Amino acid sequence: MLSLKITTIAAVIAGMSIAAPAALAQDYPSRTIEVIHSYGPGGGTDRFVRAVAVPFEEISGQSMVPISIQGGGGMPAFANFQQRRVDGYTLMAISPDQIIAHALGRISMDAFQPLARVQYDQGMIVVPADSPFQTIEEFIAHARENPGDLTVGITGAAGFDDTVMGLWNIETGAEVTTVPFGSSEMVSNTLGGQVDAMHEEYGPARGLIDSGDMRPLVVFSDERLPVLPDVPTAVELGYDVTLGRWRAFAMPADADPAHVETLYGLISEAVASGAYQEVQEQAALQFRSELLGPEEFQAFIDEEIEVYTRVLDALGLLN
Amino acid sequence: MLEAYGSALAYLFGNPSSFLLIIFSVIWGIAFGSVPGLTGIVGVALLIPFTFVFDPTAGLLLLSGVYVGSTFGGSISAILFNTPGSPEAACTALDGYPMAKKGQAGKALGIALASSAIGGIFGTIVLMLLAPPMAQFALNFGPAEYFALAVLGITAISAIGGGSILKGLVAGLLGLGIATVGLDPITGTERYTFGNLSLLTGISFVPAIIGTFALAEVLQRAGEKTSTAEVITDVSTKLPSMKEFMATRFTLLRSSSIGAVIGALPGVGATTAAFISYSEAVRWSKRPQDFGTGVAEGIAAPESANNSAVGGSMIPLLALGIPGSATTAVMLGGLTIHGIIPGPLLMETNTQLVYTVFIGMFIANILMLIFGIRAARYFALVLKAPYALVGPAIVVLCMTGVYALNSNIVDVGVMLAMGAFGFLLRKLRYPIASFVIGLVLGPIAERSLRQGLVISDYDYWDFVSRPITAVLLIASLLSLIYGFYGQWKRHREGRGSPAATG
Repeated sequence: MLSLKITTIAAVIAGMSIAAPAALAQDYPSRTIEVIHSYGPGGGTDRFVRAVAVPFEEISGQSMVPISIQGGGGMPAFANFQQRRVDGYTLMAISPDQIIAHALGRISMDAFQPLARVQYDQGMIVVPADSPFQTIEEFIAHARENPGDLTVGITGAAGFDDTVMGLWNIETGAEVTTVPFGSSEMVSNTLGGQVDAMHEEYGPARGLIDSGDMRPLVVFSDERLPVLPDVPTAVELGYDVTLGRWRAFAMPADADPAHVETLYGLISEAVASGAYQEVQEQAALQFRSELLGPEEFQAFIDEEIEVYTRVLDALGLLN
Repeated sequence: MLEAYGSALAYLFGNPSSFLLIIFSVIWGIAFGSVPGLTGIVGVALLIPFTFVFDPTAGLLLLSGVYVGSTFGGSISAILFNTPGSPEAACTALDGYPMAKKGQAGKALGIALASSAIGGIFGTIVLMLLAPPMAQFALNFGPAEYFALAVLGITAISAIGGGSILKGLVAGLLGLGIATVGLDPITGTERYTFGNLSLLTGISFVPAIIGTFALAEVLQRAGEKTSTAEVITDVSTKLPSMKEFMATRFTLLRSSSIGAVIGALPGVGATTAAFISYSEAVRWSKRPQDFGTGVAEGIAAPESANNSAVGGSMIPLLALGIPGSATTAVMLGGLTIHGIIPGPLLMETNTQLVYTVFIGMFIANILMLIFGIRAARYFALVLKAPYALVGPAIVVLCMTGVYALNSNIVDVGVMLAMGAFGFLLRKLRYPIASFVIGLVLGPIAERSLRQGLVISDYDYWDFVSRPITAVLLIASLLSLIYGFYGQWKRHREGRGSPAATG
């Protein structure tokens, strides 16, 4: 009986939302918004959500909390996201890992309503200080003569890093062998000379670059980083490798368009705030992190799917 | 150096509230460590937003105090309920719970607490004196060395088990086998998931441990006729006497050293340190067959090692900016938010911060002794309740704890299945210790073997001919032979003497 009543009320509310979306949008959000992600507490994505959450709360009066569901190639997090009610209070923080899971046929990007792409990082090939390679040209020349001889430490198996280095191999013909590690082991194995180089973003590698223990050879972006004016981009060398790790918000595919609009407005205001910009700069993510709204982000996702599918196929990971 | 300590002391006394922060953080850490499902990592992650209001030094003091407290906290529930409160304490349950069951819960907690404090202080001293050289030493450990280290730990299976060599080996292999479920660590392909995407996470360590330890124990107790037969009576925690302490001094020294070194290695941390020093304690013991029945060394070894690993894992974080464990990885995130760039320059540019944290961790370890006794007393009160009430409560705690850890319902299923599996192992008298060692060290051995082979282009000689690797692998081989010989000898003697059969 009670459940019948609730259904009736829900139906009435649903009817109202069709009749008067504007009136309802004012009541939204009226409680905490949860953001599911598949990374550890305190990791880059967790910190990203928390950084947006601080100004978001000031602007909207509602809090935003990250929910970390780790492991399994992001599958448990995705499953949890899909099982939740579509009421505008569940988001997912997505990244290239979801594009890869889509390409591998594990999930479908159609399950998402893109909301906002916020961060866009850029990777680099970094070598230890005592490496014989002073420039990327020397690195490429050695790799071309000895295909697969050079080892590059990456994080995670058959994931984002593998795709970037796979694209590098395809584009340059300077074939390197990737060795998957956990992120801290990757750094220690590179510093200790167990592998020849590593693929890492500028932010996490900054400390070791500043101290002179590591040397970046090439950056995967369209333009050089202002902080590393002497490090060439792959693009200027003639190789189209610009894939970078991005962090974004998505809603369930059948989310209420009014909610999408309201939430995007709040998030863009939060991202523009000084509080968020400061955190972004401390993490060295300001160089090409341009905010993309729902439509632009959808177009970006479509491009990404095309690139990742092509690279993963060339790597023999799609079957 | 003295100057640096001077400025650190000036900071601490100039900000008396920092002492309050340390006290708070240790209590908070013990609480998070002792409740299953709330680990030190969660404890640290939850506090990071609160560090915004402090300066970076106070913030890091807070986080490192939580880390210290939580590493000990896990042992309380491991000893009293056979439910490790945090993964680091899983190994402590192997001997801690049997000792508590013998009616010596207070003694077990006392040993755990004293060993934790000694290990913690040892690790902190290593951190204070040797951080830069230790960090450089740790860089010599590549995949080949990690592999050899894991193999050395795994070979202890040959010495564990008391009864049957075969059962010990089977249990160890089952552990190694179950650990292979999930995503392949090198190629990312699915293994033994049977097309079921929810198995991609694999058999996660914490649900597996909580199932095989806690749930299996409740099942076993439920099957016993008189549940009053084993009442844990003595629950007052007392620190071990000087005589008892001296008896474990070599174990403490060895385990603390192992803990500091393994802690300093990135990617492996307190849990691995605890299991490897347990393996070593078994190997060096004159009575290896008694392990698992509640011996003091079986508690002292993992507890001193996992707390020493706390100091150890701060070494690469502060000296190189590489976190040595999952918890320090979260701390690194916290530092970045404060605008501090972790890296080799940190110890030079932020001397005061680094040395204040050194002193803070030292104080935290001493405070842990004081608050640990209190915390253990409160927890122990639960034991006065009849098991018919405690047992079901443990089951509920297992379920919520496993779910809370990662919000993944599949983990609860894994925990239940492993509970049934652990119950069977016990009934058939397979040694749980061997199973768990396989489960913990197997993935490290597999992953590093394959990383190493990719690097050496599948040249096996290149792989084993590295000095550290060669020494560790030869030691493994000798210990394997020695372990089997010891078991075989005991087995033969046991058969020969009528007393053992009666």
